[in-house]
Amino acid sequence: MRDLAFLAFLGAIFALGFRRPFLFVLTYVYIDIVSPQRLTYLLLNAVPISLIAVGLAIVAWAAVDDKKDVRLAPRQGLILILLLYCWYTTGHADFPVDAVFKWEWVWKALAFAIFLPLTLRTKLRIESLLLFMILSAASIIIVGGIKTIGSGGGYGQLNLMVENNSGLYEGSTISMVAIAIIPIILWFTKFGTIFVPDWRVKTFGFALVFACLLIPIGTSTRTGLVCIALLIILMLRDTKRRVVYLSLIGMVGLAAVPFLPSTFTERMGTIKTYQADASASTRIEVWKWTIAYAKDHPFGGGFEAYRQNTIRYDTVKVEGEANNATLDKTLQVDSGRAYHSAYFEMLGEQGYPGLAIWLMIHIGGLFRMEVLRRRYARAEGDEAWIAPLAAALQNAHFVYLLGAAFIAIAFQPFVYMLIGAQIGLDTYLARKRTDSNWRPIMRRRPPPLKAAQA
Amino acid sequence: MIDNFSLGLTHGLMLLAAWLLIRRPDLDREASSRDAEAAKKSSRWGRKDA
Repeated sequence: MRDLAFLAFLGAIFALGFRRPFLFVLTYVYIDIVSPQRLTYLLLNAVPISLIAVGLAIVAWAAVDDKKDVRLAPRQGLILILLLYCWYTTGHADFPVDAVFKWEWVWKALAFAIFLPLTLRTKLRIESLLLFMILSAASIIIVGGIKTIGSGGGYGQLNLMVENNSGLYEGSTISMVAIAIIPIILWFTKFGTIFVPDWRVKTFGFALVFACLLIPIGTSTRTGLVCIALLIILMLRDTKRRVVYLSLIGMVGLAAVPFLPSTFTERMGTIKTYQADASASTRIEVWKWTIAYAKDHPFGGGFEAYRQNTIRYDTVKVEGEANNATLDKTLQVDSGRAYHSAYFEMLGEQGYPGLAIWLMIHIGGLFRMEVLRRRYARAEGDEAWIAPLAAALQNAHFVYLLGAAFIAIAFQPFVYMLIGAQIGLDTYLARKRTDSNWRPIMRRRPPPLKAAQA
Repeated sequence: MIDNFSLGLTHGLMLLAAWLLIRRPDLDREASSRDAEAAKKSSRWGRKDA
């Protein structure tokens, strides 16, 4: 039954794509985020729908889309350099077979991030891209939200429809993404034009934000909680009544505590006692190992280089009361521990050059959004949507960069779509500016001539 | 049950959005000031008093 529904949905959306080819881009975005082929058993597994969607999107762009005034942003160049660099390190990887396995999805995410901005020529396209990203992620987030209310969830316990936790179906990643998209959802409740913000859109938007906030609780991921805290601080900047905002957040936070499931509060308690916790201790050891590894291999070990690590560490547990406390150290030995951090993932796998390019791409995103925020801060009328959107994309990016400190998501495709949207917004506005500057130049010319004659 | 509710809701909204999008001409083309200028010129050219 579900197979048929998915098939009907995909059939309909592909059919609409032949009316408006840009929908193929949105279809690919949807397939990449939701992976419907993993949710069904029969029909979709046999057909490479992702390949068909991306193929149609590229062919349609090359054949019929307007390519007048196509702009390339420097960041697209940086992503291309990173792509080529990763290709090189994959060829020289410490674990050639495993590296190729990761390369196969990484290059697609990066190549799509380069392609995506080329198609984002109108405001409506940027909006529709973000809408599809949010609704696709929402299909997982709503499930997680409702199940959290129902069962309370737990680390690795929350059933997000698929068994293998990869992509956005992985607990920590979905909690980061859920928090990161909150500012964009809020933007839609004010400036959306596809679904004009009436009471229905606002209700759905706020309910979705609530579901997003439940995801870190349901998955009991500490990263999600840290991301929420960051988002609260970031949103302070655009809040007019800050005292009211802060007291409201405080009240809601306090009121929520009794409702939090014990699995969540227990796990969050370990943020303070991280030394006794194997998951947190191994991270620090793996990070130390990565720095040492990068000293010997400054150009990185290729994808999956972490597989060669062996780490020894002590978990320290304090037992007893203040003055009688005894330290209980236990030696743990572990090997092949994953990075648990995108920064160290880049350092270990792509070395210092890779980390530098990656940082430039991300910090460049924060910087460009800051430029747009300031440039359009006082814009009104049909430009009023710009600064809030740049702010939402920047806040989402900040949340990602914090979450990335604790999860190895350096190449998470969802984030590269977000970067694609940022670049698209940037080039779209640059086009608009030259477009509006073009007319005044033509008009301004006569007066100086007259002045010269006089 | 919950899975199907969530999938149905979000997929329904995406389909509705796609349907609304194909009816919007500004998906592919926005009226720019250059177009406005060009339109003005051509209309002037077409007029008798031009």
